[in-house]
Amino acid sequence: MDVAEKAPVEATFEPLVQIEMEMETFLSNWHHCDQLSTFIARIISHNRTDPVRHANFFSSALNELLEVSFRGGSPDGQIGCAVYRHGRTERVKLTFPCLSRQRQFFSEAVSNTRREDALTHYLDSISTGLTPSRDVVFLDLAINFDAQIRLENSAPPSITLVVDLPLEGVVS
Amino acid sequence: MSTAGLSIPFKAEFDVNSQEFSLSGVVRPRSIDEIAVNISMLKEAIDQVRGVLYINVKRLVQMNNTAFHAFARVVLDACQAKPDIRFVIVTSSVVGWTTRMFGHLNKIEPQITIEVYDSKFYPGQSFVENTSFISILRTQTKMTWRHERTILPRHGMRSGITMADICCGIGDFVVLVQKEFQPARIVALDHSKASLAYARDVAAGFGITDIEYTYGDASEMLLEDNQFDFVSCRHSLQIFNRPDALLAELYRICKPGGRVYITNEKNSHCLGEPRSQSIQWTYNEVAKLFSHFEMDVELGPKSRRYLADAGFEDIVVESFMVTNLDGDAQDFADVIAAWENVYAGEMSVKRGDSSEFIQRFRQGFQDHILAALHPKGYAGWPIWVASGRKPR
Repeated sequence: MDVAEKAPVEATFEPLVQIEMEMETFLSNWHHCDQLSTFIARIISHNRTDPVRHANFFSSALNELLEVSFRGGSPDGQIGCAVYRHGRTERVKLTFPCLSRQRQFFSEAVSNTRREDALTHYLDSISTGLTPSRDVVFLDLAINFDAQIRLENSAPPSITLVVDLPLEGVVS
Repeated sequence: MSTAGLSIPFKAEFDVNSQEFSLSGVVRPRSIDEIAVNISMLKEAIDQVRGVLYINVKRLVQMNNTAFHAFARVVLDACQAKPDIRFVIVTSSVVGWTTRMFGHLNKIEPQITIEVYDSKFYPGQSFVENTSFISILRTQTKMTWRHERTILPRHGMRSGITMADICCGIGDFVVLVQKEFQPARIVALDHSKASLAYARDVAAGFGITDIEYTYGDASEMLLEDNQFDFVSCRHSLQIFNRPDALLAELYRICKPGGRVYITNEKNSHCLGEPRSQSIQWTYNEVAKLFSHFEMDVELGPKSRRYLADAGFEDIVVESFMVTNLDGDAQDFADVIAAWENVYAGEMSVKRGDSSEFIQRFRQGFQDHILAALHPKGYAGWPIWVASGRKPR
């Protein structure tokens, strides 16, 4: 293989916390998104430079991801949320079952975050829509939280979102 | 998993007199139907105001995209329908995501501007944020600690508690507390990034890793209700133009049954011999000078009233005098010299005082230094300590 085609060396992310829950249980109460994001944010932020503000930022981002899984997930199977850390970045891996048509949607939404006109697209959606599309939620994470988002292969019907959040740099 | 009480309740309010619509707390609705009442309130507010509507999100701790889009939609529509109204969205530098998120609205409609709330609640802070003042702050803490280490247990300090030090400055007090009393958890908050950076460096230098230093506004804290057994706030109510608002926040984060501990001065009671009259004149003028900048450095003996008005019970008040005989008299003299630099060198000049006044003003500090260093002299700096228990 040509050197230029090699995949970039993946940094080593250390696991911090992992939570699993029956999807049916998760979907039984909308407030699980808020509760889980607040709870996890507080746990993983305690040894950041500014734990209170890091937790606030992280909770914002994680809540949006959990809300996406709440709206787009299906009740059969488990939702898993794992958080890892490398340097100033936290990585969220969110795995949840969803219908096949949703997979295509997530794939397009994630690739939209890497478009050059992502900000324009984001501003358009704020100025036109009454309610945000899930597409916009990913743009929000990319633009307001400097998130890098990708999809990881996982066995259907599950999908895994991998979101890198360099919040230590943003907060401090 | 117990998450009871994690979220701060959401509140929307409109004050027609100040033309300010405020959002605070956590708002993460599943659909806009859940916030329909608040959306209607915003629409009604827009209908009532003339000229400018302030939208205050300083205390908005969390807002999901569903709520953001709904509120943004109303404001953006109003920009089209009412081009004569300006919208000023007031965010906080503490809750950084609000500035980023709401900041985009200005790119869509120039009628919407964003103001990041800054240190205007702390008129005195700029005078003491200068890094040259840091060594003096450390010396002050060293001098007061000799007294406070024995006083603190009478006000609820003990090992194993959770404590917050609000307006922690350079954080040296919590380092001393941690060594002496070993609380289980310490959160130290200040609104000066320079002071916090210094605090983190000092803590790291001592190998201390378990003090949570956080940037925040003491009057609009992100900390949740009823969290701490002990909340300290030293020498800060007196330099805050709304001490009652600050005390209300200290009360809010204190656990029922926990105690809030405050220390404050009464500067006009600084004293010295010889040259007592010159010293007394200068410190009376110090009190007037601070009053000019909306600070009350005479607050010490008023602590009991402030605590009672804030709803505390079992209020304990005592005072102590830091003197030139406590330890190193030169430390005392160095602190007075630093006060002279800031009070006579910066604040008095800023107030527009005459050179004759400033000369006499400086003389009192120099006489206080003379008293401190005089072989038979005595110099004092009185401090009032007060604490109250939050009812269970």
